[in-house]
Amino acid sequence: MLDKVILAELRAAVDGAYGAKTPARLSGVITTESQLKTYECDGLTNFRVMPAAVVLPQSAKQVQAVVQICAKHKIPFVARGSGTGLSGGALPAESGVVISFARMNRILQVDIPNQRVVVEPGVINQHVTDAVAAHGYFYAPDPSSQSVCTIGGNVAENAGGAHCLKYGFTTTHVLGMDVVLPTGEMVTLGSAAPDAPGYDLTGVFVGSEGTLGVATKLVLRIVKRPETVQVLLAAFDSISAAGQTVSDVIAAGMLPAAMEIMDRLSAQASEAAVHPNYPVCEALLLIELDGAAAEVASQMAEARALCEKNGAWEIRQAQTAEERALIWKGRKAAFAAMGRISPNYIVQDGVIPRTALPEVLEKIARMAGEVKLRVANVFHAGDGNLHPMVLYDQAIPGQEEIALDLSYRILYLCVDHGGSITGEHGVGREKQQAMGYMFSEPDLETMQRVRRAFDPQNIANPDKVFPRTKLCGEKTGPYTPHPLEQAGVAEYF
Amino acid sequence: MAIGVVDIEALITSLPGVECARSEEGLAVALPSGAEQIAAVMHAVAEHEFAIEIAGAGTKRGWSNPVLADVVLKTSRLKGVREHRWQDLTATVGAGTPWAMMQRELAKHGQFVALDPLWPEQATVGGVVATNDSGALRLKYGSLRDLIIGMTIVLADGTIAKSGGKVVKNVAGYDLHKLMTGAFGTLGVIAEVTFRLHPLPAQTRVWGVTSHDPEVLGFLMMKILDSQMSVQAVQMRGSKQGCALDVELASQPDVIAQQAERLNVLARGFGGSCEIQQETARWQFGVREHLFNYDVVVKATMLTHSIPMLVREAIAMGGSVAAQATGIMLAGFSEAAAANAIVDLHELVGRAGGSIMILKANPQQAASLVLPQRKRDDKVPELMRAVKQQFDAKRMLNPGRLVGGV
Repeated sequence: MLDKVILAELRAAVDGAYGAKTPARLSGVITTESQLKTYECDGLTNFRVMPAAVVLPQSAKQVQAVVQICAKHKIPFVARGSGTGLSGGALPAESGVVISFARMNRILQVDIPNQRVVVEPGVINQHVTDAVAAHGYFYAPDPSSQSVCTIGGNVAENAGGAHCLKYGFTTTHVLGMDVVLPTGEMVTLGSAAPDAPGYDLTGVFVGSEGTLGVATKLVLRIVKRPETVQVLLAAFDSISAAGQTVSDVIAAGMLPAAMEIMDRLSAQASEAAVHPNYPVCEALLLIELDGAAAEVASQMAEARALCEKNGAWEIRQAQTAEERALIWKGRKAAFAAMGRISPNYIVQDGVIPRTALPEVLEKIARMAGEVKLRVANVFHAGDGNLHPMVLYDQAIPGQEEIALDLSYRILYLCVDHGGSITGEHGVGREKQQAMGYMFSEPDLETMQRVRRAFDPQNIANPDKVFPRTKLCGEKTGPYTPHPLEQAGVAEYF
Repeated sequence: MAIGVVDIEALITSLPGVECARSEEGLAVALPSGAEQIAAVMHAVAEHEFAIEIAGAGTKRGWSNPVLADVVLKTSRLKGVREHRWQDLTATVGAGTPWAMMQRELAKHGQFVALDPLWPEQATVGGVVATNDSGALRLKYGSLRDLIIGMTIVLADGTIAKSGGKVVKNVAGYDLHKLMTGAFGTLGVIAEVTFRLHPLPAQTRVWGVTSHDPEVLGFLMMKILDSQMSVQAVQMRGSKQGCALDVELASQPDVIAQQAERLNVLARGFGGSCEIQQETARWQFGVREHLFNYDVVVKATMLTHSIPMLVREAIAMGGSVAAQATGIMLAGFSEAAAANAIVDLHELVGRAGGSIMILKANPQQAASLVLPQRKRDDKVPELMRAVKQQFDAKRMLNPGRLVGGV
């Protein structure tokens, strides 16, 4: 609980002149327990912490005023967009303040000639594309939650998506930003033009998971839509053959917009859920090529030939936008569809070098077999980002612990093969401990130097990203459906 | 050489795996062979709080502020492509590797780091990264920020830290490598860099159009940037003799031919004289290097739509220019024209949302070319100093090299 003086200060900061006289339904400060419950977790729903207050500022100045109050009283704060994150990054801090950007959702400027858009952090990802689509442009980072997730959250997590193989991550598309530092100072990082003088603080801020401050305005780069997009689906008898095809496509000098692989289990679940009419096989490979029509046509022919060379026994090329959408629908439904074949599951986000794919998948299968659990695999094969889903039944005593242990061992396996513990979901609260496996003490201590420069009091999203001493009885990671997902608004991807 | 009572050469020579030489200015030069040896140098000199200048091939030593160093650390022995995982499109390279040497190695598998910096034969990977250099390819492939996926650095206190990794997709922890890129060696010594690679394009051709009016070329440039053509580089260059727009197409031969014809149609509408080059050599994009024949060279940044105006103004000030469509322009001036031109350009660029950095000026002239400091009403300079303080509290590494004397 925050004391009355602090609450009054927060109300004055976001409710303006009316302050305490603002009717509760209009106030930008939430303190009632029933309303606070909405904010107690993000997409990783098994971690829950009730914040002391939630504030809903409407301007950068109000955000600054809130952070200044937090800095003065050393109150931890956590910024929050739509709460779709999958690693507990927006999990509130105990007795802390949540700064929600629900009321800062304006697109401030669309500048087509200079291919950029200026937005507030609460703008929904998809709305950026909607604002520029008529001019033939799009905003490239496309996390699967793009219809509900916010740009502010994307920036915090350096969000990716299926198409970042070709177009890059959020960091590639953020040119500059206004930020309220944890000290309460307002700064502009980056500039309208490239190469702002001095350190690339924009680069280090993107993906810092809310630990270096709160962005209040973002300058985004937009991309011209390609002339054509083509999608191919190929069925293989083994993951290795599909993986080899991915390597061959790369070796042939192609850079597809996306390359995705689903194993038998995940394809089967998708088929049951959304009926994309997938062939029944050990591995499904999806390749999307885009660009100039003539170039895509010739590359598609080459990709088909490579699929055939590696033993694909069925190859389908989407002929219409509807067919393309159906192929993608099956892929995007893969996570949510797991509910059809397992009561519970844990999804992980490890990354490995592409070439390690067959070996790592074989080891995952062996590890799963040893503890008598099933693991379904869906992955962004182009960039080696695995999303293994450990299937289990919570009703069976002890099985959840075994599943959790397996999911972490899979992450460590990724690190052992030269990869990473997270490709796009972020570290947040969920993978704090795994950071200590991936990075050495000096690596982490060097990162902490950055944090101390930005946040000397350690109040911006504290106790995230960096490892801490694990508390007795603490548990991590099993998947529980997010309310947005249950409502059919968003899908895991 | 001895500083005070310390024989710095003897100190360096005593370190295993570190060679010692002497610079043209008579300073002791430490030549470590790896990250651990860099750390040993740091430990040895930290005790005496010597200022260290970090140097690659020295091609960009004139950029930004000069360093008053006691000792130089050269990365030339950190040479070679350590690992090229061509099927993963990644490569790890020693910081002292000349850029072109690295590219030749990667080209054996039809890949490259998609960046075309200045003086690639001499410039080292570490130097290119520390100065955040880039060329015309940035339009398609992005800057170093988008191409570096991992780094090994050595801090002033000898800490060896790794950032990122060897996979293209990775969001674990802070991207320290982004902080090091363009930091001019003021935060740490870059020992090794891991890049994401791109396949070399099937074919490239440069299409060009000339005109005396940069505004006409600018209109054409904006049309091309708004098109769906397979363009990987666009540059406007000019001098009193006239201007040209260079467009590099990258695709398959038939696609290039088709798109060049579309460009011809577009250009004829403006009365420009256009042609497509039959050779794959891209000499037009090398003119940036020729600008360094001038007495003074500046880098100016701007929004894309301001390029024609700034090209026109810089030429009117007596300059020769090469401006990339990304909004980065290099301008060369004679000594006589430079003093006024730089102040005027600084003013114009400031209004266009950009900034200026002096890349070349003779030492006598440099003092008179000091740019008027633009007043910032925020705390960014203070934040940068706080970062420097955390990484190098004793201000040992390239002290004062960065903008604002950081």
